Amino acid sequence: MDYNGGSVIAMLGKDCVAIAADLRLGNQALGISADFQRVFPITDRIYLGLPGLATDVATLYERFRFRVNMYTIKEGREIEPETFAHLVSSTLYERRFGPYFVEPVMAGISRTPTGKIKPFIAATDLIGCLNFAKDFVVAGTASQKLYGVAEGLWEPDLEPEDLFETISQTMLNAVDRDAFSGWGAVVHVITKDKVVTRTLKGRMD
Amino acid sequence: MNSFAQRFSSSGPIAQLAKARGTLADDDDDFSDAVWGSEAGFGNVAKGIPTFTVPSIPDPTSFLQLHTDDHADPSCRIKIQHGTTTLAFRFKGGVIVAVDSRATAGSYIASGTVKKVIEINPYLLGTMAGGAADCQYWETYLGMHCRLHELRNKERISVSAASKFLSNLVYSYKGMGLSMGTMICGWDKTGPAIFYVDSDGTRLKGDLFSVGSGSTFAYGVLDQGYHWDLTDAEAQELGRRSIYAAGHRDAFSGNTVNLYHVKENGWEFIGNYDVNALHYDGPGDVAGSPGHGYGYSVRTEGISSANPPTSSA
Amino acid sequence: MANADGGAYSYSLTVFSPSGKLVQIEHALAAVAQGTTSLGIKATNGIVIATEKKTSSILIDDSVIDKVAVICPNIGIVYSGMGPDFRILVTKARKSAQAYWKLYGTYPPTRVLTQEIATVMQQATQSGGVRPYGVSLLVAGWDSHRGQTLYQVDPSGSFWAWKASAIGKNMVNAKTFLEKRYNDDISLEDAIHTALLTLKEGFEGQMTEKTIEIGVVTVPTPQELEEENKDGATGRVKPTFRKLSEEEVRDYLAL
Repeated sequence: MDYNGGSVIAMLGKDCVAIAADLRLGNQALGISADFQRVFPITDRIYLGLPGLATDVATLYERFRFRVNMYTIKEGREIEPETFAHLVSSTLYERRFGPYFVEPVMAGISRTPTGKIKPFIAATDLIGCLNFAKDFVVAGTASQKLYGVAEGLWEPDLEPEDLFETISQTMLNAVDRDAFSGWGAVVHVITKDKVVTRTLKGRMD
Repeated sequence: MNSFAQRFSSSGPIAQLAKARGTLADDDDDFSDAVWGSEAGFGNVAKGIPTFTVPSIPDPTSFLQLHTDDHADPSCRIKIQHGTTTLAFRFKGGVIVAVDSRATAGSYIASGTVKKVIEINPYLLGTMAGGAADCQYWETYLGMHCRLHELRNKERISVSAASKFLSNLVYSYKGMGLSMGTMICGWDKTGPAIFYVDSDGTRLKGDLFSVGSGSTFAYGVLDQGYHWDLTDAEAQELGRRSIYAAGHRDAFSGNTVNLYHVKENGWEFIGNYDVNALHYDGPGDVAGSPGHGYGYSVRTEGISSANPPTSSA
Repeated sequence: MANADGGAYSYSLTVFSPSGKLVQIEHALAAVAQGTTSLGIKATNGIVIATEKKTSSILIDDSVIDKVAVICPNIGIVYSGMGPDFRILVTKARKSAQAYWKLYGTYPPTRVLTQEIATVMQQATQSGGVRPYGVSLLVAGWDSHRGQTLYQVDPSGSFWAWKASAIGKNMVNAKTFLEKRYNDDISLEDAIHTALLTLKEGFEGQMTEKTIEIGVVTVPTPQELEEENKDGATGRVKPTFRKLSEEEVRDYLAL
């Protein structure tokens, strides 16, 4: 898990969610890239973060893209975040005895059948155990540090701008205590009608 | 059957063994080691090399080897911090010593403000790589002996002699888990001098050394910029720039750079520089400063369409 | 050449005739046309599917026969044609629904399940050593995407969505009847009565709760939808498809 390094966090806000990841790609202690994207858009309203072994990050993203495209065509509709979370879980458990070294984190917004906005975050371990949280989910080499900072900074019902500030500070401060994460970060804030993506400058050591 | 009698008799074999143990333990003096706490064990100097309690088993060395850190077995019980970048080089203006300040425990960055240059005395510097406690303790102890040398011989100890004292000392503990990779730097009758000493017992004289997990990165910058006739400003900048390079690329090095310059009249602390600030803005208004950030993307920003100028943020 | 490694008889039985027809499928449709009549009607707030349950002997215990089958909590099907073939399809459909649930954590939309069944039936028209299924199906279900939908699947594997349809022995008359009776504003209660009236046309013998089977799809209320259609006590999915009990059927017949 710490061969390439990297961390992801997702947080719930009021009618919004945010997902943040660092940009470091390493080869053990050696930093290789400060421009490694480990968060991917799945639909207009679902983002998936894949911290872990970089080769599996690339492979899994392609598998999810394939499966979500097949779903979209077969069902004639966009996949819902909850359904996608189950898809992620099932896909990972298929490799129960030879897992992908990846701990996915998901963030998205769904609409209830009566039209209400429902923000959604979830994470799984490397063999697909789902964790639907009501506050935040973390993963990657800085996960313990992220838990610590998030536990201190997060509060319920944050508006998009405050959620952005909270998740950014959490990410930046946590990775400064992790040798395998950092080198800048990217944050996506998802609201019902748009996604705002910002790249953060981070410590470069 | 007669174990009860044996245990409480004052003349049986067990009692004799206990007596013998008591005599052994008491042969130093009447005080336990703890009494010397305020002097950190250095109180034993008069009797030579200080003594340490070792595991009470037939072969303590092999026991320690089994349970302390070494290159072969990363899963051992007693962890010692390894990630570091230190460097020192000799040039016409003296010796430049530069180190980072990060301490890691596994992937956790335990501290970003470690002093990895040990000021042995006003003329000698030692660098710290490997076990922080080992370096600190033995280099301080080395300082005591350097002072004793001065008092006995009415002249300063040579860098060569000081480093050899340390090297012999760590060699006597070989295999017991000491972990040090240090450079003893100073100025003596022969001029500027650097000796590399490590806990395996290696002792090397040289012009240029770098030690630690980030040393390869530091060597890269150092080698391409090094020559004997560097000016003081150029030399200081080279040291700073080399540690930055290691701090940037090596996960286990970073946070800040500590820079020292050893001249004829002793060492001088040049400054402490944040690696992140060096990346984006450079060292600021100091001798040898390039006037901009060290970072590649910072230096090349706007030069080609591959790295277009950033508007803000 | 009928020998051990194959030969003429190992070819698929479903082969094109020179005129472009698949005769085996036409025969399968003939088998369906001999089966008892089944029908389905989509209403504004649900769907009804119903069938006639005919036994060859009064000695058969008809309380154990199931012609309307629950596939998963939101989908049910009824058939006309060969009972044993239907049973196989029900088993496959139920497995498919559970596989979908394992993958996505929800039960399949009606269209997706219908497509799965249709694929199974189509494969029987193109594989070696098998014959087409001798049934037509009516698939009724509810899902959040398309609401209540009614599909018909034929032995060829083709399927359509219907507002109302009938299959089996009396399908032509029944369809004509439904065309006259159907309107887009029909309620589920009215649809159930229309279904019974349609079955009555050409029903042989007495129509009782023993000789009729009815399944209904009910559209969940907005409040039920907010609760994600879960039963508060058990956390299990609340069914939107269910079979009517004999008492309920009797009550409808009495009106």
